[in-house]
Amino acid sequence: MTPKHHRSMVEVFAVASGKGGTGKTTSTLALGMALADDYDVTVVDADTGMANLLFHADLADVETTLHDVLAGGTPVGDAVYERFGMRVVPCGTSLAGFRDADPARLREVVARLAADTDVILLDSAAALGSRAAVLPIVLADRVVVVLQPTIPSLSDGLKVQEYATTYDTGVAGTLFNRVRDDEAIDAIAEKAARYFEGPTLATVPESDAARAARRAGEPLLAYAPESPAADAFREAAAGIDVAAGDSGAVADRFRSAVVPEEP
Amino acid sequence: MKLPRGRLQRQRVVEDLATPLSNALDADLTGYARLESQDALLLSADGVGVLTFDGGVPIVAYHTGTDVGGPAALADLAVAGPYRIELFELEADALATVHEAADLRVPPGMPAERLAGDPELADRTRAAAPERADRATKAAQDRDEPGAVEAFLDDEAKIAAIRERAREEAERRAAEWGLDEIASDETD
Repeated sequence: MTPKHHRSMVEVFAVASGKGGTGKTTSTLALGMALADDYDVTVVDADTGMANLLFHADLADVETTLHDVLAGGTPVGDAVYERFGMRVVPCGTSLAGFRDADPARLREVVARLAADTDVILLDSAAALGSRAAVLPIVLADRVVVVLQPTIPSLSDGLKVQEYATTYDTGVAGTLFNRVRDDEAIDAIAEKAARYFEGPTLATVPESDAARAARRAGEPLLAYAPESPAADAFREAAAGIDVAAGDSGAVADRFRSAVVPEEP
Repeated sequence: MKLPRGRLQRQRVVEDLATPLSNALDADLTGYARLESQDALLLSADGVGVLTFDGGVPIVAYHTGTDVGGPAALADLAVAGPYRIELFELEADALATVHEAADLRVPPGMPAERLAGDPELADRTRAAAPERADRATKAAQDRDEPGAVEAFLDDEAKIAAIRERAREEAERRAAEWGLDEIASDETD
């Protein structure tokens, strides 16, 4: 049974790592495309200070982005684009756009999108240094923690998990990305699993295809669907047990959480 | 094993070790880095990390607090930032004895991978590692010690400290940023 026809289900995931360079945006779009086989998926570039999803999803030239919505006056619908079988809400890259954006409006954006989709993926900021960067983790039902098998990445991933649990956000699982050392990863993943909640969703090998996809402005699963990395992302998506929610209640929850209220 | 103090080249507080490692490589530094975690909560804050370089390429890692050398020392060096880092220049001769200690050596790319999480910098460092990759270094490379990351994950006290600190930070920020209500309003 796919919930695609049950409009009352929605779950919001933040894809987060706490550290740059883990391939979070590639992961967000890959998970989104894989989940789109079974669900209506909306992907939001919630990294409003260092947006890059637009470059991965053939959206570099669009007029209206999340920045305009967060600045006020632009309806969310104007920043939603149908791409690669998903709805995609890109964010702009200008400093002025970031300055004018009110991160608190992200809650209302999520609330509006929640009324009309099964799964929302929030591509989150690479650091936890600001309110805007932490909000996606606060707003999400669960986080997907993207890790590399390195000490800084594991350390920052643990930090993301502590933030999530502090804000009553669950952990959907961890994803090891850009893995180069095949031999060491199993032992590392097994040891890491002792500290992380949720399953290890997949181990994604470092891939030239991911870089080539980025250059081509396409998600990995569109550009190189047969690559080992794409397979691993599909495996990860299959491991995420999307929970049913009541979209009305979820939308209400996000609305009631809007602080400060818009005038 | 004592290192002469040497000439101070740089001194700064950084969140991320990619920059100093990259600086050492680009500056062709022969000498050492002294790394001090600014985090008093973590056990290994009781000592300092030392990473030596020959021509910008890391050779030896050692932690004075845990008295551990080699790849395992990288785990002790790799506590969460910020770090106070000082780069010192030394004559190659002054480092010769230390560099002969095989049990303190690390593969050239490992610090960039394990401390900075930067595979590109690791590749660049390996490429810069001259043919003087003698047997000791080569042996370490061949084993491709998974030691550092696994040693880190085996250190339950350190991980507990990282988590505890993150939890406190998350709670403090929830209050600062008005996230408290949202967090408590969320129901499953």
